[in-house]
Amino acid sequence: MSMQNTQLKSPATPKTDGDRVAVLKSTEKRSDQWSQLLISVGETHDRAAFAKLFKHFGPLLKGFAHASRNEGWFPGLGDDLVQEVMIKVWNKASGYNAEKASATTWIYTVARNCRIDMLRRKSNTQHLPLENEDFWHEPDEETPISLLQQKRSEDKVQSSLAQLPKEQDEILRKVYLEGKSHAEASAELGLPLGTVKSRVRLALQKMQVIVSTEAQE
Amino acid sequence: MNNSSQFHPDDTMLLEFSAGTLATAPSICVSAHLHFCSKCRTSLVRLDQVGAQLMSEAKPLELEDDAFESVMANLDSSPQIAAVSEQKRTSYPFSVSKLMKNNLVSQTWKHLTASVDVARFETGQNEFEVALHKICAGGKTPRHDHHGLEYTVVLKGSFSDENAVYREGDFLVREPGDVHQPMGAQNGECICLSALSAPIKLTNPFGFLMKPWLRINPM
Repeated sequence: MSMQNTQLKSPATPKTDGDRVAVLKSTEKRSDQWSQLLISVGETHDRAAFAKLFKHFGPLLKGFAHASRNEGWFPGLGDDLVQEVMIKVWNKASGYNAEKASATTWIYTVARNCRIDMLRRKSNTQHLPLENEDFWHEPDEETPISLLQQKRSEDKVQSSLAQLPKEQDEILRKVYLEGKSHAEASAELGLPLGTVKSRVRLALQKMQVIVSTEAQE
Repeated sequence: MNNSSQFHPDDTMLLEFSAGTLATAPSICVSAHLHFCSKCRTSLVRLDQVGAQLMSEAKPLELEDDAFESVMANLDSSPQIAAVSEQKRTSYPFSVSKLMKNNLVSQTWKHLTASVDVARFETGQNEFEVALHKICAGGKTPRHDHHGLEYTVVLKGSFSDENAVYREGDFLVREPGDVHQPMGAQNGECICLSALSAPIKLTNPFGFLMKPWLRINPM
């Protein structure tokens, strides 16, 4: 580990950009315990690992379900969501790629899609031609960002989210946790839609979330 | 697919997409844009990190006593779903391909004007009309105004209007009062996905002839 780091920094061994990324990828493994457990579930159908994930994420998922007060909400939503999401986690774990997302982010995306579909099924008796999952099929390819960049942006999000002014934090929570659109948030807070959007933009700037066009290449 | 799209959804729209609070029809358009745009895919990954962080700060709630056992009991009987990464990639965005399959688009193309064909999709919502528009090479469309919002994503080829040329993946929003006259590129047909929230008003004095075709028709 330390040798590889020395080699990485040494100007005596010039590396191409591609080589450098490869070295970083082999030394920088995603080490948080949830991601490790999820990998075990995917690779070996490890039931003990799954039980640990369940114990951690189950109550959070129920909390996430209960934070929503959208059309279609019903008292049993929390328990139903925990069931549906955890079964999906088990079934899809083999497709989890730790280089692209932490387990928490991956499980969040499963939970978000499940929650929307459950609410829509409750409030809409019509057959739904598309499930929410269908909107997220694209980004599976040679990831444009490396694991190191991923972890940097995760750290940045985590630390800057904790420091956001209350008025920005409040709106992000309404949108992500309560499942409100910006228009619904503006009505609830008695603020013009433009104010809600500008607070969202300020928060995104602080967390350095949006990739600017200039920085792309 | 990667290209350098010039026109992207607004940041706040991507955030609503990540949070899952964007309405179905604009979500279809955003997902179509993501198929082409690696920049917005990267932003989306980070927006999902924001959602994940907020979820992990949600107040944990105690589960029912048998919650774990009942999930474990279901695992044995659950079929293994193929991993997303194994899914076949098509040249059209996944959501659009699925709509095309469900709606048998090849059989539903209708002439809108001499140079524009339209195929409407059933999407299970009634706020927007979601449709594909096909403009023939060099085809002119009627100059029109918008009463409501219109989202457009170029899926194939390109078209232009008074302001710019729009290529594959470009994401456009037209607001009420925007008047434009799109024109298909000379070198081939152009196919666009659009979501339209209210009737288009034709500004051509003879436009009334076309009005019934352009009436909003959510399915």
